[in-house]
Amino acid sequence: MTTKWNQTMDRIRQWCVRYRTPLILLLLVALICFPFVVQDNYWRGVTTKIILYVLIVSSMNVINGYSGQFTVMQAGFVGVGAYTTALLMTQGGVSFWPSLIASGVLASLLALFVGIITRKMSGLYLAMVTLGVAEIVRIILLNWTSVTNGPLGVKGIPAPKIFGYSLGSSHAMYFLILILTVLMIFCTHRVIHSKIGRAWISIRENEHAAASLGIPTARYKTINLMYGAFWAGLAGAFMAVYYRYIDSTMFGLDENFNILLMMIVGGMGTLAGPVAGAVVVNLISEVFRFAAEYRQVLYAIVIIAMMWFRPQGLIGSLEGGYAIKWRRKRKGVFR
Amino acid sequence: MAYFLEQLINGISQGAIYALFAIGFALIVGVVGLPTFTHGEVIMIGAFGVYYCTSLVSGNLLLNILFCFVVTGLMGVLIHKICYERFENAPHYIPLVCTIGVSILVKNLAQIFFGSETKTMPPLIKPGFFELGHIRISNVQLTVLGVVIALSIVLTLFLYKTKYGRILRAVSQDKKAAALVGINVQRATLLGNVIGCGIGGIGGMLYAIYYSTFSPTMGLGVAMKAFASTVLGGMTDISLSAIGGIAIGILENLGIMLFSSSLRDLIAYLFLILVLLFLPYGLRLKGGRNR
Repeated sequence: MTTKWNQTMDRIRQWCVRYRTPLILLLLVALICFPFVVQDNYWRGVTTKIILYVLIVSSMNVINGYSGQFTVMQAGFVGVGAYTTALLMTQGGVSFWPSLIASGVLASLLALFVGIITRKMSGLYLAMVTLGVAEIVRIILLNWTSVTNGPLGVKGIPAPKIFGYSLGSSHAMYFLILILTVLMIFCTHRVIHSKIGRAWISIRENEHAAASLGIPTARYKTINLMYGAFWAGLAGAFMAVYYRYIDSTMFGLDENFNILLMMIVGGMGTLAGPVAGAVVVNLISEVFRFAAEYRQVLYAIVIIAMMWFRPQGLIGSLEGGYAIKWRRKRKGVFR
Repeated sequence: MAYFLEQLINGISQGAIYALFAIGFALIVGVVGLPTFTHGEVIMIGAFGVYYCTSLVSGNLLLNILFCFVVTGLMGVLIHKICYERFENAPHYIPLVCTIGVSILVKNLAQIFFGSETKTMPPLIKPGFFELGHIRISNVQLTVLGVVIALSIVLTLFLYKTKYGRILRAVSQDKKAAALVGINVQRATLLGNVIGCGIGGIGGMLYAIYYSTFSPTMGLGVAMKAFASTVLGGMTDISLSAIGGIAIGILENLGIMLFSSSLRDLIAYLFLILVLLFLPYGLRLKGGRNR
């Protein structure tokens, strides 16, 4: 049964790959028409949240999926971005667009710091250290009361403005977040197919071989972290102006794991994987809202079932390093 | 000075609890070869185990220890079945994500069955203290230290004097070589998981006795303490992990003399990062495998 299901998924994936361009265009048109067709505020909110998660999960996928660094701190980057924008706008009186840039830059500075301290670490130690840094960020945000307002969070974040028009309506926020997400996926597509992206993928496949070919692996890994963190910071900035309120519990360990699980459900190492993961996981949690507290239990069971029957994720790349190694080993042939 | 010494004793007894978390964690990491994210939930189940055993059955300390060990040991079997048995040769992230899944599952089931509010532990140890010069050591602290020391002795005897202990150590050092000399690695992993989880559960029980409040969501915080302690021993060395746990306990209590107590969780993370930065293999003399 498992293999049959897997074959069906693979067939769907191949079909999607073959009709890629029309599918993407169709999806874009559907997303643009969506707020005009569906007038329901609740579902527009859900869709905006999903698109925001697509952005965050994609930014994590750049790090974990393309350069194979197992980091667990995307919520930390998002938190830095969100707090930067929120504080600059409420206390500094800066307008939205400069603080958006500042969010991205600060998040990537944090990533630069992480990249420097972890330049000799790999695998699970890296996961531990990034988890630790994310928690340190959260504890600082929680306890630096004079600046971040401590456990009360930052309230009343103003809406972004462009040429004097306020973009605070839910329609405008929907389109802003959609534009940013599409831009991010497009940029990542370009980067992945450039020299830098090829270097990342070679590091993922075999770091020593990449180094022996003259790729400065430490530098490319840091660039990779900073690139992912930059978009996570931008996502944080949009999160701040969209929710109008942020506090440090939104960026805790649970959120880190949540983002990681979305990425793994969707599949690492492809551009479409995080989209699928964010959509599926959020839809599950919305559809099963009636189940109240059993929702999380169901979510956990989905995760475990996913790992048992389809560890590469819904549309994870079968050609990617992880999956192929495992398949060969299961047949009894070691690399 | 007396205040300093009292904080030191607080630190040692809290550190002893962290040491138990870390010992269980290091045992599991050793036999499995991977960190586990379920350890916090195992500790939480241990805390609830002592709560229900004391309030429903009896307040006998030995019975409570046995009960917590058995319950969390059974959980270890479950974790082994779900997360490790099928994935011996799979890429690392799969069992890791499975443990995250089990951790979410257990945490939410605990919230449903036990209620999500913070529980208060009924007094298991007679309140009172023992005076040594100007320093007071409470009965609870004495119990914690006694249990931890007794458990460490039992565990050391088990690991170094029995056949199964030798098997566990062999698997922890090198799985392939252990399999080559005829050790059933799967069964050793199961055994290590049961013992590691059981010790974590007893740690959770002592946590409940010491702090007397706990909730189903406490898991991640204590699990991070266990992580941070084990890096001192390169994640698999049991005695160095215990030392790491005690060191974190002492540093936390001395730290809150200097900073505000809300920053106390920061210390474990700083310890984790600094140790990994400057002593990537921990304090072990020989460099281990680079995982």
